[in-house]
Amino acid sequence: MKRFKKSLTGIGIVKFLIYLFFIMFLIIPLISVFLVSFTDEPINLFGSLISLDTLQTTIAQFKSSTLDNFRAVFSNSNYLDALLNSLFLSFIVSIVVLLICVPISYGIARTKMPFKKTISALCTIPLIVPTFISGYAFIIMFGRSGWATYIYQSMGGDGLLLDPYSFTGIAIVQIFFFFPYALWPMVAAFKISDVSLEEASRNMGAKSWLTFITVTFPLVIPGMLSTALVIFAVSFSDFGTPIILAPTDLNLLVVSAYREISGFFNWGGAAILTVIMIAVAGFVFWLQHLFSKGKNYDSVSGKPKQVKLNDNKLLTVSLSVFSGLVVLVPLLAMITVFIQSIATTWGKDPLPTGYTLAHYKTIFTSSLGNIQNSVVLALGALILSIIVATFVSYFVVRQKSSTLDFMTTIPLIVPGIAFGIALIQTFNAAPLQLTGTAVILIIAYSIRRLPYMVRSTVGTMRSIKADIEEAAVNLGASTLTAAITIIGPLMLPGIAAGSILVFITVIKETSISILMAPAEWAPMSLAIFQNILRAEYYSAAAMSIILVVLVLVLQGIANWFTRKQS
Amino acid sequence: MGAVVIEQLTKDFSGVTVLQNIELDIKEGEFFALLGPSGCGKTTTMRCIAGFEQPTTGKIKIGGKVVNEVEPNKRNCGMVFQSYALFPHMNVFDNVAYSLNIKQLKASNPIKKIGVYTRMLNSKLVKYSKAIEDKVMNILEYVELADHATKLTSELSGGQQQRVALARALVMEPEVLLMDEPLSNLDQKLRHTMRNTIRKIQQELKITTIFVTHDQEEAMSMADRVAVMKDGEILQIGTPTDLYSNPQTPFIADFVGTSNILSGNIIRKENGISFVEVGDQQVKSTSDVDKKDVQIVIRPESIIVLDKNSQDYDNYFEGEVKLSTYLGSIVRYDITVGEYNLVADTTYESGNNILQEGAKVKLGVSPERVLLI
Ligand SMILES: Nc1ncnc2c1ncn2[C@@H]1O[C@H](COP(=O)(O)OP(=O)(O)OP(=O)(O)O)[C@@H](O)[C@H]1O
Ligand SMILES: [Mg+2]
Repeated sequence: MKRFKKSLTGIGIVKFLIYLFFIMFLIIPLISVFLVSFTDEPINLFGSLISLDTLQTTIAQFKSSTLDNFRAVFSNSNYLDALLNSLFLSFIVSIVVLLICVPISYGIARTKMPFKKTISALCTIPLIVPTFISGYAFIIMFGRSGWATYIYQSMGGDGLLLDPYSFTGIAIVQIFFFFPYALWPMVAAFKISDVSLEEASRNMGAKSWLTFITVTFPLVIPGMLSTALVIFAVSFSDFGTPIILAPTDLNLLVVSAYREISGFFNWGGAAILTVIMIAVAGFVFWLQHLFSKGKNYDSVSGKPKQVKLNDNKLLTVSLSVFSGLVVLVPLLAMITVFIQSIATTWGKDPLPTGYTLAHYKTIFTSSLGNIQNSVVLALGALILSIIVATFVSYFVVRQKSSTLDFMTTIPLIVPGIAFGIALIQTFNAAPLQLTGTAVILIIAYSIRRLPYMVRSTVGTMRSIKADIEEAAVNLGASTLTAAITIIGPLMLPGIAAGSILVFITVIKETSISILMAPAEWAPMSLAIFQNILRAEYYSAAAMSIILVVLVLVLQGIANWFTRKQS
Repeated sequence: MGAVVIEQLTKDFSGVTVLQNIELDIKEGEFFALLGPSGCGKTTTMRCIAGFEQPTTGKIKIGGKVVNEVEPNKRNCGMVFQSYALFPHMNVFDNVAYSLNIKQLKASNPIKKIGVYTRMLNSKLVKYSKAIEDKVMNILEYVELADHATKLTSELSGGQQQRVALARALVMEPEVLLMDEPLSNLDQKLRHTMRNTIRKIQQELKITTIFVTHDQEEAMSMADRVAVMKDGEILQIGTPTDLYSNPQTPFIADFVGTSNILSGNIIRKENGISFVEVGDQQVKSTSDVDKKDVQIVIRPESIIVLDKNSQDYDNYFEGEVKLSTYLGSIVRYDITVGEYNLVADTTYESGNNILQEGAKVKLGVSPERVLLI
C-alpha cells in the first residue's frame, strides 16, 4: 500500500499513462490480430471489458475458433503463393543489392574513383522518394507509352524493354531505390576492415585482385550478411512498390493482405497474412540482431587507419562508370516525373508536346486540402511522438525501464500494412470505434515513427548526466520544475533532430495512409495513389514533385541543423 | 547552520550492504572530512544526507530535526558535485541565481510564477530583482568571479567552474555544505590553492561542512575532524593529529600517512615496556596492548639513521640501503633489515651526503615511537 502511494506521484502517473498508450495501441492490436486469425471474425476486446453481452459474444467466438486459417496457408494456393513470392522477391532484391553495392562501396571507400562526391550525393535521391512514386515513375518510363520504351522500339526492339507491371518490375524498382540502405554500412565495413592484413598479402606478392578476393572480401562478409538482412526486411515490408506495380495475378503478402481487408472484408484472411508477415519480419530482425551483435561498425574505437587509396586508372574509371549508371536510374526516374508534371501531353514520344504549369495550378486550387491534411496529420503525429518519446527516454535512461525500451523497438519490426490491419480491426467497434477517424491515423503514424524519435531523445537524455538534475533538486527545485527548467532545454536539440525525421517519414508514409485514412482526411500520399489508380498521371506527377520538394526542404533543414550541432 | 547527526545508518542496494551502522556526530560549524578508498561508501553516505538515497535503516538529523522523510529539495543542504553539475545552458550568473529563482517561485502568485519560469528558461526576457542581483554579485565577488558573470560555464577553467559550483551552493545559505571530492578534477597546483580557498570560506562563514575525499593529505590538511571509512564502515573518527599518532588499526596507520607495519609477538612486559619479537629481532615499545599477537607501527620519520659514533638507542638495527629517494626537504630510504623492508625519512640539509645503494647503516627507534596495535 505504501509502495503504491509512493508511485502515485506526478511522474508515476505519467509512466502509467505511457504504458497504457503502448498496451492499448500496440500490444492489444497485435494480440488481437493474432486471435482473429483463429476466430475468423473481428473480436471486440475493449467492448468485452465493459459489456457483458460483448464478453459473451467474444467467448462464443473463441469457442468456435478454428485452425482453418492456418491450414489455409498450406491449402489455399493464393496464401502460400503470396508468402513464397514475397520471400523470393525480398531474397532476389537483397542479393542483387549486395552485388551492386560491393563495387560501389569499394569504390567510395578504397579508391580514388572520379566523381566520388557527385555519386555519393546522388545516392541520397532514392532515400527521399516514397517507393510508390518510384514505382509510378517506372510506369511512365517503361510503360507502353514511356520514353524508354520509345527508344527501345526505335532501336528495333519489340514490345516492352521491361514490363513495370511484373515481378521483375517490382524487383528492379526496389533494387534501385533500396540500395543506399546497404551502401553506407558497406562503405563503413570497407573503411574499417583491417588494412594491414591486405598490405601483408600484397607484400607477399599477391596481385591486387587476388588480395581483394582472398583477404578484403572475406573481411567484410559478416557486415554484408547483416546488411543483406536489412534490405530483406525493407523489401519485405515495402508496400508502395507492390501496390502500384503488382499485376492482379501476382500474389504478394502485403498486397494480398490489403486486398483481403479493403476489398473483401475477409478479417480472418487478412489476420493470418498479417501474422505471417510479422512472424517473418520478427525472424529476420532476430537474425540480423544475431549477426550484428558485437560488430558495431559505428563504435569501433582506435585510430582510423590511413588507407592507401587505389588509383589504378582502369579500375577507378570502370567503377565510376558502373556507379554512375546505377545512380542514374533513380535520377532519371525523378526527372521523368518532373517532366510529366509540367507536360501538356506526353504520349509515346521522347519529350512532351508542350509545357505548362496548369497541373500545379490545379493542385493548388483543388487539392490544397490534401497538402494541408498531410501537414496537419504529420504535426499531430509529431506532437504525440515528442510527448511519448520524451517521457519514454526519461524512463529508459533514468529508471532503466527495459520494457519500454523493448516496446519502442516493436514498431521497427512490424510492417506498416500489418500494423494498420491490426489497428483497423481492433478499433472497429464501440466503445473505442476509432477506425476511420483522424485520431487513430495520427496514433498509427506516431507509433510507427516513434523509434526514430526515441533513438534521438534517448541519445540526448543519456548525454545529460543525472547529477545535473540532482543539482537542481538540491537547489530546491521539485522534480517537475527541474524537468521544465533544466532537462527540457537540454533535450531540445535531440527533440528537434528527431522531429524532422518523424515529420518527413510521416509525410512519405504510404501503407498506413492508404489503408486507414478516411476520405475527408486524405493526405498527399493517398491522393497521389488514387490519382495513379485513376490514371490521372499529370496531377499525380505534380503532387509527387511537391511531396518530394517538401521532403527535400525538410531534409535540408535537418542537415543544416546537425551541422550546426557539431 | 546546523549540526548533522547520523544514527545507525545502514544502506542496502538490492540486498548488497554498502553502508553499515554509520554513526556520526558533526558539530555546528565544523569542517568534517569523510576519508576512505574508492568504493567504501563515502558518496552514498553523502547522498543519504542530501536525500538522494533513502536509508535502509537509521536516522539522519540536521539541526536537531529528523530529515528522513523530508524531500531532497526541502533539506537545504548545499551540495558541490564531483563533476560540478553546472547547468550547461545557463551562464554563470543564472547558475548561481537558480536557487534564488526557486525561492521566488515558491513565494509568488501564479502570474509572477510564469515570469520566474520564463526567466529560468531565458534570463534575457524577465529581469532579476535588485535583491537577487546584489546577492548573486556579492557571492561571485566573494569567489572572485564577478568579472565572469555573463560567461557560459563551458568557457571557464576547471578551477573557475569549481568556484561557480561553490557559489551556487553557498548562495542558498544552506544549513550544511556537502562536497563530494570537489578537487579531484583539478591539477595538483590548483588543488592546493582551492584547498586554501575552501578552508578560508568555511572559516569565515562558519558553515557546517562535510567534505568527501580519498586523498588523505587533503583530509588531514583541511578538516577539523576526519572519519576514516572502509567497506561501508567507519573505522575511526578523530582530529588529524589524533589519527596520525594513534591509528586504531593497521589499515588506518597505512592509509593516513606512510607506515612501517610488521607483525610480532609480545614475549614479556617490564616497567611499562613491551618486548616484541619480530622474526629474529626484538623491538621495545612503550605502548600497551592486551594481546599477544600484535602489529607494530613505526612512522618513517621515527626511524633515525645513525652515524657511526652516535648515542645508544633502545631499539637498534643494522641494515643496508636499497633505494634512496630525494623528496625535496626529506630523503626517503628503503632499507632492508634482515628479512624486513623499512622506510625511513631523514630531513635533508644542503651539504649532507645522501647514502647510496648498498650502504650499511645503523637504525635507531625510541620505544615511545613504536606503536602496537
Ligand atoms: N545506485 C547503486 N546501486 C547499486 N550499488 C551502488 C549504487 N551506488 C553505489 N553503489 C555501490 O556502493 C558502494 C559504495 O559506493 P560509493 O559511490 O558510495 O563509493 P565512494 O566511496 O564514493 O567511492 P569513490 O571514491 O570511487 O567515489 C560501491 O560498491 C558501489 O558499487
Ligand atoms: Mg564517490
